[in-house]
Amino acid sequence: MDVVEKANAARQKRWTKDRKVGEGTYAVVYQGREAATGRKVAIKKIKVGQFKDGLDMSAVREVKYLKELAHQNVIALLDVFSSKTNLNLVLEFLDTDLEMIIKDRSLVFLPADIKSWMAMTFRGLEFCHRNFVLHRDLKPNNLLIASDGQLKLADFGLARDFADPGYKMTCQVITRWYRPPELLFGARYYSTAVDIWSVGCIFAELMLRTPYLPGESDMDQLKTTFRALGTPTEEDWPGHTKLPDYVPVGQFPKTPLRELFTAATADTLNLLGKCLIYEPRKRISAKEALSHPYFFALPYPSHPSKLPKTASQLAASRMAEEAETNVDMNGPGPAVKAAPPNRLKRKMSGDDIGRSVARKLDFSQPAAA
Amino acid sequence: MAVEQVPSTPVDAANDTLSKRPLYEGSTQYQHWRFSPEQLHKTREVLNTDAIAAIRSTFEADSPGSSSDIQFLTYEEEILLVKLYVTKITQLCGHFRFPEEVEATAISYLKRFYLKNTVMDWHPKNVMLTALFLATKTTNHPISLEAYTSNIPRTAPSDVLDLEFLVAQSLAFEFAVWHVHRALWGIWLDAQDLPIPVPPERLQQAYDSALQYVGTSRITDAEFLFTPSQIALACLSLADHDLALRWATAKGVEANMETIEKVAIMVTRDGVVPSVEVVREIDRRLRLCKNPEKVVGSKAYIAKLAKVEREAEVKRARKAEEIRKAMEDGDPFGSELNDGARVIADLDEDD
Ligand SMILES: Nc1ncnc2c1ncn2[C@@H]1O[C@H](COP(=O)(O)OP(=O)(O)O)[C@@H](O)[C@H]1O
Repeated sequence: MDVVEKANAARQKRWTKDRKVGEGTYAVVYQGREAATGRKVAIKKIKVGQFKDGLDMSAVREVKYLKELAHQNVIALLDVFSSKTNLNLVLEFLDTDLEMIIKDRSLVFLPADIKSWMAMTFRGLEFCHRNFVLHRDLKPNNLLIASDGQLKLADFGLARDFADPGYKMTCQVITRWYRPPELLFGARYYSTAVDIWSVGCIFAELMLRTPYLPGESDMDQLKTTFRALGTPTEEDWPGHTKLPDYVPVGQFPKTPLRELFTAATADTLNLLGKCLIYEPRKRISAKEALSHPYFFALPYPSHPSKLPKTASQLAASRMAEEAETNVDMNGPGPAVKAAPPNRLKRKMSGDDIGRSVARKLDFSQPAAA
Repeated sequence: MAVEQVPSTPVDAANDTLSKRPLYEGSTQYQHWRFSPEQLHKTREVLNTDAIAAIRSTFEADSPGSSSDIQFLTYEEEILLVKLYVTKITQLCGHFRFPEEVEATAISYLKRFYLKNTVMDWHPKNVMLTALFLATKTTNHPISLEAYTSNIPRTAPSDVLDLEFLVAQSLAFEFAVWHVHRALWGIWLDAQDLPIPVPPERLQQAYDSALQYVGTSRITDAEFLFTPSQIALACLSLADHDLALRWATAKGVEANMETIEKVAIMVTRDGVVPSVEVVREIDRRLRLCKNPEKVVGSKAYIAKLAKVEREAEVKRARKAEEIRKAMEDGDPFGSELNDGARVIADLDEDD
């Protein structure tokens, strides 16, 4: 065997696949483990044989960028290997995503929780932008959540670098509801500001618990956007009527964000507004956002471990705990043991109780801000 | 990434070089594709020696004594052959009008490939075609395989695709490359704001000439030994030594000029395309000493295929046995049987 084949075989042996957990547009995702340590991982298997042009672009982009980007708030690519005609990406295993959390009606978000998710999103994004990488597909279900509560930017299948100024790019990126108006108008030269708009939409969605600008078509997306934020004037956004796909979609008045986000603080609305500025060059950058007063005002961001968790996350952490207990008690005899009865009770005391009280209090406020 | 210290607008040019350096140091290029001259030499020497030993034993297995009068390639000869194919990438890129980033990336891929493989196993002609095709994708300038191969004489889509995995694996799937021409561009933007202004014509002339040297540097080992900005500055110094020095002084990095001189010497000394006669002779010998296991249809190739197939058969049998056992073990408990069967169905045959 060649050196390269040998190295690949050795890589492959480091990981085991346990069960299928999901199916994406171009891949099947398995839960697996690192053989040596038992560490849980996700293995994303991409069938390459089916593409007549070989390795497909999404896979190429995802591997290219994740290989370079190592940051607490960006999903970690642990390994890549091939098996026959498949490409396998070994990723850190993440229990859930922000979309599932937003949709879980049993959870109540405190303003501090939203602040924490926003801080982690901006940190991950600032790192990407500092490395000249545009994500181009930010939306709640691409913000994955680890068992310790850390939020990670994932799915770099549409990412690209932007160091080449003045190189035309496609405007067919970003899921519609999170797509900024410059892309809807067909701009081919754009920047980091496109990702910031998406983050603004996610920010709003965290407060509203429902998508902020749910357009039904590309045309309707513009209308929905302008209905919410007012139709931009030439002064708001110089030159936008010259963009390739510009069409007038009607005059809508500007309504202050305050009218929809009744319970939000002034800092909150100020940052939200800066993410949703029409003129891309005036939109806030990820770096500036991180030093925005919003993040320094009370309440401070929740510690990631204290953020609301979905039932499946709680089940996963309980299972992990039980597995731990079993290992503790692993003698030479039969191994399977139930968790000691007082264990769960102990868990419920302290933080969790404080938390559920706080949630109740928050619930009485006019809106989940 | 694929870029070093390139500001998105000229305005950022001021806080360039040093503040951006940590990004480069976190890159796979910095971590995995930089060597000392000794390491680089050793890597190639070992690769060459091991390959010869393996091929020799394949020949001997086929017919004893058959390897004794074969003149295998030395690693220096391997390098000469690869160099020639580096220049072919440049030609093809001109033909396709690919941007410089595609060309530079493909060349890095080809050179990196031969730090993991030998030309006696994989001829650079096909590897070059695959490296270039892969580079069009990784730099976001994709072209259909059909359009690609139909424009290259005597090339079928399978010539490119068959090696794509091997090339990607050899690169350790590290597709991002930090380029010298990008670094040069950063320096050039900077140079427009020197304390004592430089006339624009001189700047332009220096830049154009430096860019030629950047092309030359690509046929050398410079990228494995030095950083993109060091190579860029060396190319500028070859074009306009005084300008390079003034830039370095303004940046407070004139202490580096000694290293820069070394790079410049290397670029002029090694940046020479080998003559056609020399390469033709190497290629002639390569036909006699290339690994028969990689020659489709040869006895050794068929033997190797059979071996791989035998191993796969053993693996399949073992897996079938495992499944049978799992089913039997689960038998007393109906639900577990289903579970077991489902788990097995989820993992498909090729894992
Ligand atoms: N890192 C991960 N950890 C755990 N599950 C994951 C991970 N990545 C993906 N998944 C699961 O696999 C599914 C498909 O993933 P992916 O291919 O990224 O989806 P899509 O193509 O829809 O973006 C996801 O919905 C999720 O359930």
